[in-house]
Amino acid sequence: MLAKMAKVRLVGPRGRLDLVLEELHKLELVQLADVKGEPYRVSPLPEDDRRLARASEVRFLVAELEALLDLLGPDAHPGRGDLVPGEVDVSYVRSRLAEVEPAVEGLRGRIEHLEDEKIVLPRYLEPLENLLPLVPELADLEDHELDRLRLDTVALVLNTTDLSVVETLRRELAEVLGSRFELVSEEIEDGAIGCVLVFSHDDTAAVHELLGQEHVRHATLPEGYERLSLSGTVAAMEGRLEELPAEISAAKEELDALLRPHEEEWRTLLAGLRAELEQLEAADLLGGTRRAFVAAFWVPKRDLPRLREELKARVGAEVVVEEMPVDRYDGTMPVLMNNPKPVRPFEGLVRFLDLPRPGTLDPTGLMSLFLPIIFGAMVGDVVYGLLLLGVALWMKRRFTGPGMLKDLGSVLLVGSVWSIIFGFVFGEALGNLGYDLLGFDWALWFYRPDGLVPLLVFALALGATHVVLGLLLGIWQGWRERHRGEVAEKVGTLIALAGVFGLAGLVAGMMPSGAVTPAVAAVVVGLVLMMAAHGGGMGLLMGPLELIGALGNVLSYLRIAAVGLASAYLAIVANEFAAVAPLWIGIVIAAFFHALNLALAGFSPMIQAMRLHYVEFFGKFYEGGGRPFTPFGARAAGPPAEARDAREDAVEAEPREGREVAPI
Amino acid sequence: MELGLIAIGAGLAIGLAALASGLAQSRIGSAAMGAVAEKPELTGRAILLMAIPETLVVLGFAVAAMIILLLG
Repeated sequence: MLAKMAKVRLVGPRGRLDLVLEELHKLELVQLADVKGEPYRVSPLPEDDRRLARASEVRFLVAELEALLDLLGPDAHPGRGDLVPGEVDVSYVRSRLAEVEPAVEGLRGRIEHLEDEKIVLPRYLEPLENLLPLVPELADLEDHELDRLRLDTVALVLNTTDLSVVETLRRELAEVLGSRFELVSEEIEDGAIGCVLVFSHDDTAAVHELLGQEHVRHATLPEGYERLSLSGTVAAMEGRLEELPAEISAAKEELDALLRPHEEEWRTLLAGLRAELEQLEAADLLGGTRRAFVAAFWVPKRDLPRLREELKARVGAEVVVEEMPVDRYDGTMPVLMNNPKPVRPFEGLVRFLDLPRPGTLDPTGLMSLFLPIIFGAMVGDVVYGLLLLGVALWMKRRFTGPGMLKDLGSVLLVGSVWSIIFGFVFGEALGNLGYDLLGFDWALWFYRPDGLVPLLVFALALGATHVVLGLLLGIWQGWRERHRGEVAEKVGTLIALAGVFGLAGLVAGMMPSGAVTPAVAAVVVGLVLMMAAHGGGMGLLMGPLELIGALGNVLSYLRIAAVGLASAYLAIVANEFAAVAPLWIGIVIAAFFHALNLALAGFSPMIQAMRLHYVEFFGKFYEGGGRPFTPFGARAAGPPAEARDAREDAVEAEPREGREVAPI
Repeated sequence: MELGLIAIGAGLAIGLAALASGLAQSRIGSAAMGAVAEKPELTGRAILLMAIPETLVVLGFAVAAMIILLLG
């Protein structure tokens, strides 16, 4: 269910503003709302130059510290300080940063330069390596040796495979230089031709002019490689590329050694500065005059008495807390899920789709009931269930902090228990192995591979129950929100579905023949209601479509039978392999197939069960679009619900009064 | 009717439905992954959109089951 939220107006003397914000920040009970959006008219707080200047300075230092700490990687224990605004000595922080920043900048620049070099060198190296075999004799000559021969060279890479381009170039060179040049070419890589042009030193200007006319771009080699021979350049570049990784890691280690000693102090300062910045920026949401301030915020209704008491004790009775009237469908109201602890792991699965809109139903409780049943009905094997139970228990022990993996462990735990229960219902243990070993059918209901009809009926019955429940919830929600059209449409769907179920019962011989008229009448009445709900000509089309959609939703639950049967048959195939092959090979093959089936059993039924909830069940009543409740000054990092769990875990872990605490 | 033809019919019913579902999912999946890369908060909706064409296979399974049960 969703926690009831109260909208509160806080009025107090301006002199107490900093203290109030500080205490609210420590309490972590409220989410500030912009007072300018409230129905009562309040002017924004008059600008406070001292506060603005401080905020700007703190913001700058926070950015600086974050940038420096980012170089050390993520913080394993992100926290928050509880500092009074103005307590951090910013000039001290600035001086501490100024001590290390020049060295840090120098090292960062060096690392950046080395990493650039690592990226750029291969781009030069590759074409040069490809040009080497074109002129092996010339490749070993350095620039000064070529000067002595009064020769000059130009290496070209043409981004084409058309050899006629080379011939055109050769023709144009011949027009200018006559026979005083040599041009060799070869396709060097996909879509490129490498050329080396050798010519007399006296013709250098003419060659460059010609190439310029042909828009051939001149690319210079990086510094340090200009005067070497072609093969010398290639060797130097290869050597440099080998050296670079060691140089980069050495520079990174040097940077780490420079920053690491400051890490703890900086993280503490950053936490304090962030807390102060939050409090300084919160003032933008407030209103008031030179003498008084007005704040508006959301608070879970159950926390309101505690908030009143705490503020009275910490700030004084001059600050007045007033509860304001609330529209329960107010779209600006933040949403806080508030379910019993066993159900909470399923909240993440609901949030995965979207948070419920304020004032609507939170389906977490129903999801915690149906999702494990559907999952268990698909797995339906005692041994697989026990193995999944083991995995779930391992996940619960391994992932102790709040988060998706811990929640998934809890969901899998309940699902695996239902898998074991359905394993007994279907009489399956590693497929037909339990059946074969015991020598008799120990299924409490039916063995799936032999009971296709009851399996299909069971899946459809589960689907009909789930869809009808969704429709009933949709009717209830529509009724609460006074949406007559929605109520009529859902009631019509329900009546028409009842008629269709009746007709199906007649066909199956499960209903007396006298039921035809009421069943047909139900379908007709339902359809008319659905058409009327949509209204106009569209209703004629939408009514039948809605009914087909609802029937499709029920039929969609046949996947419970399909996935379950596939899993059972894969287990049987694994056992058959073991029986056919020699013993030890058979055991290996069977183990492989059972492991594969188990992996599929942990994944596919969960996805299918989620899909049945998101599409078939939620589609009937669920309305998303809620914004999460994020308390001002939330101490724990992460999404609001995880932060809530972390806070509650921390409270539970705190020693109670009177309990003996081990000395530190 | 021959048992072999019935089996082929049932196989085609679910096989062709699975092929169609796969084609639809491949297109939806690539678009959904693009959207998730831009906005990770859309993961839930991406799974939902990906899962919608699977109903085709379920209907194929229903038809295959009917062929086997009614004719087999």
